[in-house]
Amino acid sequence: MAHDTHPAPSTVYHPAPPGMDTKIAARDLTVRYGGALALDRVHIDMPGRAVTACIGPSGCGKSTFLRCINRMNDTIDTARVTGSIRIDGEEVNDRSIDPVLLRARVGMVFQKPNPFPKSIYENVAYGPRIHGLAAGKDELDAIVETSLTKAGLWKEVADRLHQPGTSLSGGQQQRLVIARAIAVNPEVILMDEPCSALDPIATARIEELIDELRENYALIIVTHSMAQAARVSQMTAFFHLGALVEYGPTEEIFTNPRDQRTQDYITGRFG
Amino acid sequence: MQISVIVALTLLVLTAFGFLIGRRRALAARGASGGRLHSLPNYYGYYIALWTGGPALIVLALYGAMGAGLVNTLAMTQLEREAAPLIAEFERQLDNDAAYRALLAQAADAELDAMEAREAIALARDAGLDPQDFQSELARQTTRLTETGAQLDARRGEIVRDVAARAPSTDAGIRARAGFEYWISPNERRELFLADARAIAFGAGLASRNTPELRAAALAMRPVEDVFRYSAAGLALALAVGGLAWARSRVRGAFRARNRVEAVISGLLMLASVIAILTTLGIVFSLLFESLRFFAAIDWRLHEFLLGLQWSPQIAIRADQIGQSGAFGAVPLFAGTALITLIAMLVAVPVGLFSAIYMSEYATPRVRAVAKPVLEVLAGVPTVVYGFFALLTVGPFLRDAALFLGYEDAVTQSALSAGLVMGVMIIPFISSLSDDVINAVPQTLRDGAYAMGATKSEAIRHVVLPAALPGVVGAILLGMSRAIGETMIVVMAAGQGANLTANPLESVTTITVQIVTLLTGDQEFDSSKTLAAFALGLVLFTLTLMLNIIALRVVQRFRERYE
Repeated sequence: MAHDTHPAPSTVYHPAPPGMDTKIAARDLTVRYGGALALDRVHIDMPGRAVTACIGPSGCGKSTFLRCINRMNDTIDTARVTGSIRIDGEEVNDRSIDPVLLRARVGMVFQKPNPFPKSIYENVAYGPRIHGLAAGKDELDAIVETSLTKAGLWKEVADRLHQPGTSLSGGQQQRLVIARAIAVNPEVILMDEPCSALDPIATARIEELIDELRENYALIIVTHSMAQAARVSQMTAFFHLGALVEYGPTEEIFTNPRDQRTQDYITGRFG
Repeated sequence: MQISVIVALTLLVLTAFGFLIGRRRALAARGASGGRLHSLPNYYGYYIALWTGGPALIVLALYGAMGAGLVNTLAMTQLEREAAPLIAEFERQLDNDAAYRALLAQAADAELDAMEAREAIALARDAGLDPQDFQSELARQTTRLTETGAQLDARRGEIVRDVAARAPSTDAGIRARAGFEYWISPNERRELFLADARAIAFGAGLASRNTPELRAAALAMRPVEDVFRYSAAGLALALAVGGLAWARSRVRGAFRARNRVEAVISGLLMLASVIAILTTLGIVFSLLFESLRFFAAIDWRLHEFLLGLQWSPQIAIRADQIGQSGAFGAVPLFAGTALITLIAMLVAVPVGLFSAIYMSEYATPRVRAVAKPVLEVLAGVPTVVYGFFALLTVGPFLRDAALFLGYEDAVTQSALSAGLVMGVMIIPFISSLSDDVINAVPQTLRDGAYAMGATKSEAIRHVVLPAALPGVVGAILLGMSRAIGETMIVVMAAGQGANLTANPLESVTTITVQIVTLLTGDQEFDSSKTLAAFALGLVLFTLTLMLNIIALRVVQRFRERYE
């Protein structure tokens, strides 16, 4: 492992809101793709039952950070992850953790809606099936209905559950993917720019959904839209060039940024 | 020097000159009008060069394609005119010849009887009776017809010689004899006559004969040919100069030379694709018309061809057995083709598909970089080499293995050995196409599956393969149409016997093998045996065309979904 000679990046931490329970904690989290440093010694504590937004210009490492939480970086051959990241105090990078089981606890929604080439029903039932969460057909039906209801899609698709998932509109597909993630009853849901491929109305619908999901899950959302981060999140982390620059309650970050780079970014000087 | 060479060189020089003039004029126009040319100077050059060389080349090409035919027609029409007295005399003699007229009556009689016999055979067959007697009657009348025809030809020949001998051996007489010989000849003899005359006249090729009549015809051709040649050369050169002058007069600064030149180029590109399409159409139509002749020869009993269970084209060459039921039943060929294709696909689909999955999902880039080209080398092995392999290695091995296991009737040429080797041949098609298709499945789908906690093999089985399925099906269908149309391996390794069997250890025969057998060796080209090959070809073409269309549709639908 190459030794990092340059000084560790200094992060501005705003005081955490009172009563914040830490769900995810990263310490010295570093990611390299081949030789390139993508994430540099990130130190952060993220709350449960709240929405944390990760913002920053393209290539700042926010998506890489997200993919550390459910070890999706394992699927990239060149990626090397060091440091520690814990969920409820349990080390994610530990060898004893099976990524397959980890990913059942940490759901993920991607930039482009990616329903599987299956029916709407089978898309949602997929996770429960491979993890053996449902004892029978009735139970599976119940899980599918609950998940689709939570994702706000049930009314729209109840009468066509067996049509292909790709037959839905883009916004519906994204909600289907969210329902699919909810179906395995995860603790954390990661969202990597979930609205960037959607129109404003579909985006508003997803944002509403994110706000509802906050009651039951820890949500971490990567977004390019500052307005979106301000609307949906309670905590905001600003990344720049692989380093976590500033982290704190969303209101404070947007109204009273302390780092010059944060201020420049949220006022639109670069990005 | 040959005039054609002079014309070609002159045209070349004129074209180059036209290019230079165009360029110069364009540059001058730019200087004069203070700047703006529509196109680059070279385009004005190309434009004039095209107008100089193009029309002249078209004239020369037309002369090359049709000049000889026109010269022949004109020269021979003249000679035939001079032979008019001989022709009149011949027709008079033929009409008044008693022996010839008696033979004609006899032939008509035989024809009538043969027709009656044919009708009787059909009636007997419909009534479920044995048509044996009528068949031998038909054979008798057919023989009589053939013999009478030969006698007719002989008598006519005598009259021809008699009439020709009446012309004097002067120049005029010989010219008349040449015209008469040409007039009296059937079409294929006429072509031979013309070819020989041209050979004597212009030294192009060797003449098969050298008679006074041919020399007379050659002499008649020469002046006509000269007129055509010089006028074509003159016309070409005039067009070249005229085109140059006209194009030059159009070159101004604002003239859109680039667009004109590009229009010509796009025309040439279109011409190339039209040639390819027309060739395909020509092949299809020749197949279609020969097949129609075959169907006519078997009295349009299409169902017997498509559904008949017995294939033995050999017995059908005897005139009295044309269309004999069962002789052209193609079902054993279809069954043989289907059996071998099935065996080939049983080998190629799993191996091809699994290797594609390995290549695209599991192999490291280094393994992939080596293994993929190696696999594709398989596609470059000539099919005749696969044929050797099947015949000399796989066939004997399978036979010995079957004998060892107690199957007494094992043979070297079996459906199994041909099918196995054909399967190996098709592996690269299926693996390469499937590999492309699997790679085209978006990474986000795989990520989605992994993010749901799927393992690698679950992601492949549940998500990647279903997404790639249409493309994989397309690949399999394309491989199948290769298998159906494959010839060399089955010719060498599957045997010839038209057995209707599902036993892969017996030898079977396929559509393609039968086409080869029917068309090679000494064959009459209008017997129904030979024509059957075209009908088989038509069936084969229709089958593979349909498979290809379905496959392409399926693959296209897949592409639309992910691109």
